[in-house]
Amino acid sequence: MLALKRYAVKTALPNGLDNLLAHARPSHGDPPNILRILHAVCEVYGYIDPQFIPAIAQSQGVTEADVAGVLSYYPSLYTQPAGRHRIQVCLGESCLANRCDRVVEAIQSALGIPLGQTTPDGRFTLEPVSCVGNCALSPSVRIDGALQGRVRPGDVPRLLDRYR
Amino acid sequence: MSRIRLYLSNDTSSCAAGTERLVEAWRKRSDVELVRTSSRGAFFLEPMVERESPEGRLAWCRVTADDLPKILAGEGGIPVSAIPFLSMQTRHTFATFGVTEPLSVEAYQAQGGLAGLRAAQAMSPPAIILELKASRLRGRGGAAFPVWKKWDVAATEEADRKYVVANADEGDAGTYCDRMIMEGDPFRLIEGMLICARAIGAGAGYIYCRQEYPAARATVQAAIRAAGEAGWLESGGKPFVIEVVSGAGSYVCGEETALLESLEGRRGVVRARPPHPAQSGLYGKPTIVSNVLTFATVPNILARGGSWHASMGTEGSRGTAVLQLGGRVRQPGLIEVPFGLTLREVLDQFGQGMADGARLKAVQVGGPLGSLFTDAQLDIPICFDAFAKAEAILGHGGIVVFDDETDMLELSRHLMAFVADESCGKCVPCRIGSLRAREILDTIQRGRATAADLSLLTELGDTMKATSLCGLGARAPYPVLSALEHFPMEFHSRLQR
Repeated sequence: MLALKRYAVKTALPNGLDNLLAHARPSHGDPPNILRILHAVCEVYGYIDPQFIPAIAQSQGVTEADVAGVLSYYPSLYTQPAGRHRIQVCLGESCLANRCDRVVEAIQSALGIPLGQTTPDGRFTLEPVSCVGNCALSPSVRIDGALQGRVRPGDVPRLLDRYR
Repeated sequence: MSRIRLYLSNDTSSCAAGTERLVEAWRKRSDVELVRTSSRGAFFLEPMVERESPEGRLAWCRVTADDLPKILAGEGGIPVSAIPFLSMQTRHTFATFGVTEPLSVEAYQAQGGLAGLRAAQAMSPPAIILELKASRLRGRGGAAFPVWKKWDVAATEEADRKYVVANADEGDAGTYCDRMIMEGDPFRLIEGMLICARAIGAGAGYIYCRQEYPAARATVQAAIRAAGEAGWLESGGKPFVIEVVSGAGSYVCGEETALLESLEGRRGVVRARPPHPAQSGLYGKPTIVSNVLTFATVPNILARGGSWHASMGTEGSRGTAVLQLGGRVRQPGLIEVPFGLTLREVLDQFGQGMADGARLKAVQVGGPLGSLFTDAQLDIPICFDAFAKAEAILGHGGIVVFDDETDMLELSRHLMAFVADESCGKCVPCRIGSLRAREILDTIQRGRATAADLSLLTELGDTMKATSLCGLGARAPYPVLSALEHFPMEFHSRLQR
């Protein structure tokens, strides 16, 4: 406990996080739900800054290790801010069968970044997703929540242009 | 002037195909009324627009915004009943898809909805379970466990609280029927959960929906509100609260015990069984965890009787199989047929062969953990027993067809890398085994492996099959080893000389 205290970083919480954590505190007797609070933080800020792990842990009455464990387990709990537009390319088997690798290549060369990265100008984040359930219209690409099906490599410039 | 009513699907895939663009183009017109429905699942025909006629619905397929004059003039539409992909199916769970308006309680009831719940309310809980026993329904999520047995265990357990949990973490790539149910006919899922709640005496329900399905989550949430307002959400005279909880991108959370851990807010790590969730599940209370499709199958069974359901299918697999066809086929989409058709029949009759001149190389059934079939093996009947005998799985009914351009070594590496990424880490065979197997496949790809590495891969696979804690590790070797068995040259030719 002492060691924890010594290394705990005192960080000013961003506006609203204090309030959010206070509201998410489990009511009397109810077990804390770490995933739920992390979802809520992610929804408000777009990502979860690991600096806030101590505050989140305290608000839920759990250890920092508990929070860090959940945070590192789930791929959709982002720990870094994303670009202004999030591009998700489906790598599910139906998309693979329909040559999504060529779509990935086209996007990568258009943006100049590999999967999992954000463009230097902060405009696009490119990430893989394992299946979006659009398998009858493979290959699939989702940009900011808008799903595109039957995407061909040649469609990529036109798709990205809408978000320039 | 009366407006002409046009029906367009609201399904995510239909929208991705272009339905949304049609709605955008037409919504301000004074001469048409646009009604959003569920999807028929014939996605190769989307965007599809329908209108009423004296002979039933007429459909216009692969529509663009410029086709509107033709549609308004009634030219060129084909009767929906004459579309072979749909007319050859035996639709029960998906019978009203394409017709129902997802969030209309009136439309749901007009199509026979709630008949199952009303029947169940007139029965005692043990009688409901007996009806399910007579139906011989087995779970549709992958494990194919007899549904009545689970319900019976949970019903007999003494506890102050019991839960009903719908597994909507449809993570198997190549599957989308749960998404279609949640987006297109969410009341059917809710009705199934209410019947289960009455049978086991549960007071609360959860729908654990994967994060990749935002539209499904929103529709189910709206449906729960609508069902509440209509007074449907009660069980045994007490309110039955259903909450939708979002996953966070973890595949293994589709495994029932990992799902429960995740529902409790923790890492989605698999629990050792026994105890089974029906005895000790969410917060240690008796819990029924079933797939969305399983719950959606239940209302018809109560409405029409267990023996009706048992009259369809094969000896060990009663009822209908809901298959989702994808990959390099001409006609991908949702297919509901009685169990027993062969895989080849499904691919030929419904898929109508390969897409533009492609040649079939392999078919994967049952998601990323499913075995691969070659052309010579396609005469296997689609049922749990035949698949179990072939050491394959039907899983959640996903069928993905690969063409002859597919590199089987790369596909194997991809599938094993997926498991290595998604392993929850609790048991060593899966956590370490999948990583080592992926490394061996990497080494083969780099041309640095020897025959000894291939034997090690096989041996590792056998260990994972025998000793993993859940299906993820136990099934992970199957697609890889079946690729090695059927396409040995693609592996051997890349070994170090």
